[in-house]
Amino acid sequence: MPYSFTQIDQDKTKTIGFVFSFLILFYFLSGWCIAVIVKNYLILETSSQYADSGQYSLSLLNIEETIITLLIALFIGGIHWLCSVQNLIPKMAKVLGVQPLDPNDSYHQMLKNIIDEVSVATGGKKMEGVVIPTMAMNAFALADFKGNAVIGVTEGLLSRLSRAQIEAVVGHEAAHVVSGDCLSTTVTTSIFALYNGLLNGLSQVMRGGQYSSRRRGGGFLALILVIYLVLSVTRLLSLLARMFISREREFRADAVSVRLTRDPLSLAEALYAISHRWRGAGLTGEDLEAIFIINPKFSFLDEQNNLFADLFSTHPPVEKRLGVLLDMAKTDVQSLEENFQKNLNKPKQSIPEPSDAISQTWMVQQGGQWSGPFNFEQLLTVGGLTPETWVKKTGGSVKHAYEDEIVQGIFQKNEQGTGGDIQCPRCHVPLGQIFYEGVPVLKCLHCGGVMAMPDDIQRIIIREDMGFPERIEHMAQMIEQGRVPRVEKGDISLRTANVMPCPNCRNRQIRLLRMFYTMAYPVEVDKCTNCGCIWFDKDELEVLQYLIEKKAKEQLN
Amino acid sequence: MTILWVILALVVIAALWLVAMYNSLVQLRENVKNGWSQIDVQLKRRHDLIPNLVETAKGYIAHERGTLEAVVKARQQAVNATGLKDKQEAENFLSGTLRSLFAVAENYPNLKADQTMLRLQEELTSTENKISFARQYYNDEVNRLNISIQSFPNSIVAQMGGFTKAEFFEIKDSAEKEVPKVKF
Repeated sequence: MPYSFTQIDQDKTKTIGFVFSFLILFYFLSGWCIAVIVKNYLILETSSQYADSGQYSLSLLNIEETIITLLIALFIGGIHWLCSVQNLIPKMAKVLGVQPLDPNDSYHQMLKNIIDEVSVATGGKKMEGVVIPTMAMNAFALADFKGNAVIGVTEGLLSRLSRAQIEAVVGHEAAHVVSGDCLSTTVTTSIFALYNGLLNGLSQVMRGGQYSSRRRGGGFLALILVIYLVLSVTRLLSLLARMFISREREFRADAVSVRLTRDPLSLAEALYAISHRWRGAGLTGEDLEAIFIINPKFSFLDEQNNLFADLFSTHPPVEKRLGVLLDMAKTDVQSLEENFQKNLNKPKQSIPEPSDAISQTWMVQQGGQWSGPFNFEQLLTVGGLTPETWVKKTGGSVKHAYEDEIVQGIFQKNEQGTGGDIQCPRCHVPLGQIFYEGVPVLKCLHCGGVMAMPDDIQRIIIREDMGFPERIEHMAQMIEQGRVPRVEKGDISLRTANVMPCPNCRNRQIRLLRMFYTMAYPVEVDKCTNCGCIWFDKDELEVLQYLIEKKAKEQLN
Repeated sequence: MTILWVILALVVIAALWLVAMYNSLVQLRENVKNGWSQIDVQLKRRHDLIPNLVETAKGYIAHERGTLEAVVKARQQAVNATGLKDKQEAENFLSGTLRSLFAVAENYPNLKADQTMLRLQEELTSTENKISFARQYYNDEVNRLNISIQSFPNSIVAQMGGFTKAEFFEIKDSAEKEVPKVKF
């Protein structure tokens, strides 16, 4: 019998029923304990006979009181349940800090395509894609009772895995969604672990310097104590809740992903790559571990194979998962590792730089007549230029326009359009839109400077498609040694400090502020404090990227 | 009297069984139909993308006329094809010409770096994947339907209900991935 998505058993209702009963049981037991304590305490306090006789006996609840406790537990449990499943996906998404896909970003477009592809393979289940803007590598799926589903990956994963590998990962997540275990995992996580993360963050803020308890006095200390108490209870709860989340579901999703993409090797490679990089420990989402493809925190429990681990861990050992997949792909861990290392050190292609375009001139043949010479800027204004027009570079031979590498750029630019009325703060000519690492940014074709918004920069520095020429490496070394490299064209960077107008703000009075990108990566950039955009002079963006990539690589080894 | 009751019960059970059998066959047939329409949508999408692709590539490799014209011609054939067999052949041919176009494009770094080209290439890759996934789904469902129609008790219901076997949609593709054995 062939195996298709229509056949996967839907076991969601069972698990969710268990979870709800567990919630009620928890509230009932804790309510019962509190009631017993209160009852004994009050009796000991109010009636003196016990104190006189010196006898101590614990009185338990009678049936009526038990029923009342149960009703209260049902009430509180019900409210907890309703709060947890309301706006399930948006709430989880907020804790994870996800962003919607940007249709102009080519990486995001690819992710959207991949999700659509997988959706076709499932017979048309609709799934939405989102990203977490972080360098960590991980992927997750969320689902709610209405049948909405969200598949998310981190920017780090998006940039470091190949298309086939991302496809395999998305297939894995789609398997969770379609088989229904995603819904139960989402609900369980929302009930038991969501507030855990929030409280965790809060307690860390409280411990931090400026909110120090010494300055705030006793009331504040009590608040911290309460938070810790609640925190430890929710910790315990989320630990217990893991019993409802079967480790086996990851194996099953792996298997379905393989069925879907017919590519066990890519999934194995993806799992290997994710498990060897930073997977997101320390982010707000780390407590929601059950929804991720691989646990963000490394846990010894996950890597074990006994009953205790089966009960209390959320993910099966990565090694075992790899073993199953590699078995299907008829290969072994050793060759996988070799491939991984080889890909890591693969030389990258740098984009050819039309560096001397400004100084060159061309003759153009139109209607049988040669005209010119024109420089590149003037060529842009020459009408009737087509790819098959004959052109002649000064000192070169006669060619078709499409054969000349630089003239060809004209046809590309027409396709891409420009940045509208946004002007270069140095050269005061309109900026042109280019794609850098798949992100649309505005670049000045004269001075080579780039303007980008903070969100875009975050994405650019995570991505690693670009190779860097030696010039960039040299400048990066200088920065690491604490020196300030000058941009090639003399000392413009120092002379114009603080006087460039912001290219993005309407108000021309707003000036860019010169600053280091961060203290860890002291590359000089010009930032607008009004709109947040950053102006990188020529090479500055590349140097910044180079430094960040270098550090990431060092951490890996 | 009891015998009458027993017979009546048996008749009711048989009727229920027939209804259930019939419904499951209808469900399978609907899945097959749905699968086919998905393939159709994706094939159309591919046909729509190709003119853009050719236009973009023209700017860089205008002198490789043969390759470009082959793609345009193959597309026209695929659009005009009717019937499953014809479609299969035309689509196979189109995939072949597209592959040779991309092979040619490999030799032109500027074409490879062109944003429009990159976007179109990504769209086409995605559409090809969708076609292959849609086909996978369709063929799986066809297989289930065919087995169901042919196996014994169902075959009676299938004959009465006028269910017929569906055809597989096969694209001969050198890059076709084989189905790995899934083990848990």
